[in-house]
Amino acid sequence: MKRRSRPVLFTIALWGVTAGSAPLLSAEAKKSDPKAEIKVEERTLSNGMRLLLYPRPDEPTISGGWVAHVGSANERPGITGISHLFEHMMFKGSQAIGTKDYKKDLEIIAEQEKVRGEIRAEEAKLRTAYRRGEIDDVTRPENKSARQKELEKKFDELVKAQREILVKNEFDRIYTKAGGSGMNAFTNKDMTVYFITVPKNKLGLWMWMESDRLASPVFREFYAERDVVFEERRLRTESTPTGKLEEAFEEMFWHGHPYTWPVIGYPSDIPAITKAQADDYFSLYYAPNNLTAILVGDFDPKEAVALAERYFGRIPRGKTPPPEMTTLPPRWEAEMRLIGEAETNPQVAIDWHTVAFQHRDSYPLQVLAQLLNGRTGRLFKGLVLPVDAVATSASAAQESGRYAGSFGIAAECKEGKRPEETEKAIDAEIEKLQKELVPAEELQKVKNNSAANSFRRLSSNMAILIQTLVNDGLGDWREINEGPKRIQAVTAEEVRRVAQTYLTKENRGVAVFTRKGSAAAPSPDEAALASLPEQARPMVKQLLQRVGTEKDPEKLKAMISQMESQSSSVPPEMKKGLDLVLARAKERLAELAKPEKK
Amino acid sequence: MRTFRPIPFLLAAALATLASARPALAAGIPDRPEKLTFPPFTFSPPSAAAYRTTLPSGPVAYVAEDRELPLVSISITLRGGRYLDPAGKEGLAELTGYLLSRAGTKSFTAEEQEERLAFLAANAGSSIGDDRGGVSLNLLSKDLDEGLKILREILTEPRFQESRLTLRKEQLLTEMKTRNDESQEIESRERSFLALGEGFFSNRFPTKASIDSIRREDLVAFHREWFDPRNMIVAASGDFSRAEMVKKLDALFAAWPYQGKAAPAVPKPDHQMPAGLFLVDKDVNQGRVSILLPGVLRTDPDFFAIQLMNDILGGGGFTSRITNRVRSDEGLAYSASSRVSGGVWFPGLVSVSFQSKVRTCSYATQIVLEEMGRMKSAEVTDEELLTAKRSFVETLSRRFATKSQTMGLFVDEELTGRFGLDPAYYSNFRANVEKVTKADVKRAAERLLATGSATVLVVGKKSDLLSPDPKHPVPYPSLTGGKVTDLPLRDPMTMKPVAAPPSR
Repeated sequence: MKRRSRPVLFTIALWGVTAGSAPLLSAEAKKSDPKAEIKVEERTLSNGMRLLLYPRPDEPTISGGWVAHVGSANERPGITGISHLFEHMMFKGSQAIGTKDYKKDLEIIAEQEKVRGEIRAEEAKLRTAYRRGEIDDVTRPENKSARQKELEKKFDELVKAQREILVKNEFDRIYTKAGGSGMNAFTNKDMTVYFITVPKNKLGLWMWMESDRLASPVFREFYAERDVVFEERRLRTESTPTGKLEEAFEEMFWHGHPYTWPVIGYPSDIPAITKAQADDYFSLYYAPNNLTAILVGDFDPKEAVALAERYFGRIPRGKTPPPEMTTLPPRWEAEMRLIGEAETNPQVAIDWHTVAFQHRDSYPLQVLAQLLNGRTGRLFKGLVLPVDAVATSASAAQESGRYAGSFGIAAECKEGKRPEETEKAIDAEIEKLQKELVPAEELQKVKNNSAANSFRRLSSNMAILIQTLVNDGLGDWREINEGPKRIQAVTAEEVRRVAQTYLTKENRGVAVFTRKGSAAAPSPDEAALASLPEQARPMVKQLLQRVGTEKDPEKLKAMISQMESQSSSVPPEMKKGLDLVLARAKERLAELAKPEKK
Repeated sequence: MRTFRPIPFLLAAALATLASARPALAAGIPDRPEKLTFPPFTFSPPSAAAYRTTLPSGPVAYVAEDRELPLVSISITLRGGRYLDPAGKEGLAELTGYLLSRAGTKSFTAEEQEERLAFLAANAGSSIGDDRGGVSLNLLSKDLDEGLKILREILTEPRFQESRLTLRKEQLLTEMKTRNDESQEIESRERSFLALGEGFFSNRFPTKASIDSIRREDLVAFHREWFDPRNMIVAASGDFSRAEMVKKLDALFAAWPYQGKAAPAVPKPDHQMPAGLFLVDKDVNQGRVSILLPGVLRTDPDFFAIQLMNDILGGGGFTSRITNRVRSDEGLAYSASSRVSGGVWFPGLVSVSFQSKVRTCSYATQIVLEEMGRMKSAEVTDEELLTAKRSFVETLSRRFATKSQTMGLFVDEELTGRFGLDPAYYSNFRANVEKVTKADVKRAAERLLATGSATVLVVGKKSDLLSPDPKHPVPYPSLTGGKVTDLPLRDPMTMKPVAAPPSR
């Protein structure tokens, strides 16, 4: 289902989400099978940074990563998107990496910041002008003041000067030369995660590189990268058919909670984030006591602990601990609905507020989702398969975030079916789950799949690393081993109870998307009108109406000759419209000349 | 909005600079990563021959024992693909491939088979693409024998249950309606038309008429004609004894119930790529740009040099020139890269693609063309070539990360004929990469990057594309010899061109 792939995760580079798409939450273990356990060794360094180690000699590589326990939920309006922008900045180098002359580089950055301060003052004026209706678009380059253009030129000169001493993308170059692969990072509402795979003999390099960018990062090329991030927003949200509607739905569903704003950031926030804000953000949230590093692969854990203490241990603990995100999701006690049109097939999505990571009800909710999913699931059987089906595809998921969770069902309407019908069919499936206990065999099927998937998820170093990072980011890596056991313990009564408790009308948000302009195909006149300049349309429309209803051939002839005489003198933007009316008038005349039908 | 102020963090760093070149490092940590030393490690790729066997019943099989987890993975790859679609029945290969494992067998209805597989937590799937198809099964090793029984029926006696055919056709028609929704899909389709010609098999898209015309008998006939053991290659890995698995696989193909045909060769295109600028008007605020040139076969004697050239130009991510300039320097795109696909059956394509806000597309295109030119006018640096080489050589092990991935790779070598022609391809890989010189890279660029005759495809809002950002007012047509062709959108159900919607 399309809506399930909504952009809640943003990356430094395009990423074939193979490892990350592992079924994290449906993973399941047989209680007795030690092969399904991920045996992690856990250490805490002297500065509070945590280290998780999982030696696995099956591949001649080490996949290494770390998670910063900060995501868009830690932001506020005005700086939305900073967590993700920040993720990009972590690849820009350090005092040692990325420049030939560290001292000069810092001087140039300081100069750049001064100019940026002045540019910001101009940008503030643009926003004021926009609020007063004096300009139509703050991003349109033609609206910039002469002063701003001059300052930007000055800034570009400083960028040029910096480029002289820059060692372009050196961070990546060093890893690439050493056989690093799959280097990437992602940000979501709860966490920011960084990872790479290196050959097994390069553990020391990983320690050097990762600790160096945490010990002395330099956010150079900050403003160009901010533009890159805006292009990422255009790519994933603004120029996709449903991106903006999905963003609106998230906003509505999480209203009153920090999950409400998009991870990528509001379009007016991204270009306004300052380097100073990024610096503050780093010192608060990237202190070692807010980070967990994880290694999976062919290494000696004793050596890894010693190296980690030497490399990461040198970074001082943060002065103040990061503040807790205190907002609890409000209960609105009312169904919310979003109705939108887009270039997409008609579809329905229903999300219910449920529970956060490791809540005891999250397990029966995961089971509930799997009862609905797949080719033997209830949605396929109830909505897709019947002769009078209402959907071409449908799926469900329990998403347990660190601070709150939701349960969602989405379906694409079958040709000829209205979203209301599809929605009704979803409701009927839910009602059955609320009334009747799930048969034992059906429940066992879900548990069997969970158990098998707990092996499948262990296929590679990178897959194991990503799952461990994500679970630690959510609050507890042990969930990898504990969650599956709790799924095995779920009963039919629990499934029915959570369906009754959470899947209620007043607890949900519904999104209905229909195809833009699908109500009726435009008539030839409407299409022609659309091609005219805006100011010409009302008048042409009026004339077309008159021509179309005129019954007197003489009056039509008079109009035609009048228009023909004007044809050469009308302004160019009206010419096309006039020609259109003229053509229709002649057609009407010919029609009237035909003998009347009985 | 906060205005600039000095940041304590940077101040501290600056003060430290006064004392020494950079802040003091903890004991035992060198100031540069180049000073680290590493234990020696050289990866030797596994040999395909060690896993290969020809089953008495026909197919070649690659079989690897892997006892780490109690799982077995089996996949059967089929020679043959969409190029076998009869004219007027475009979509037949795809439908047959999809429904083979999803529409029942002789003994089980689709519903019964799916219930049983789901209860066993077994994943079965099947599909047919451009030049190959496949059936796969992944299950717990304890259920292997039952799984193989089901697999044999899927391969030899698929039911193609009418209700599932109807459902799949409806799904395909619904999906067809979205063909003009995403600018990405429009770009990818038009790129293929420009590169290979509209008549080429991979561009003969299913239409409503072709899907409507497909009957169950067509699927049955397609299956009997092409699902012949001699068109199949098998891969198996997981928790089993190799000798026993070979026996079981042999039984899977023994006494095949009907006689099919050997798959014919994949057709080759007969098409000259048109030079110039091609525009598709689509109301989106980010343009999608593809710059295309003819490529080579992967057996080309220059192919290693060509790959290294591409890596330095735009294939190597953050270490490549296009990413450095278009993304890092100018902030014009999130993704900007080049790709040289080494063709297996016919020459591949050289393509550079990026996405940028519509009004900066022409400026970014200019930069890309400039970088392509620079690859021809001067040799790359030693550092660039070394980085590219190391990246190829040192990441070779990633292609063999798991047993199932390794078996899949060997099947690909077998299917595409490289195993027969060049069985030492992977053992010579390192040496072949190492011997490429800067002169070779320049020669490869001169051969392939004929920017003057490039095909440039842009999908975006046309009025904005032709009104570039005033800061870098590069007029688009000037980049491609002034020739601009408007490409119409296609009717999604017939793929016939429709009049372009008016730009607003």
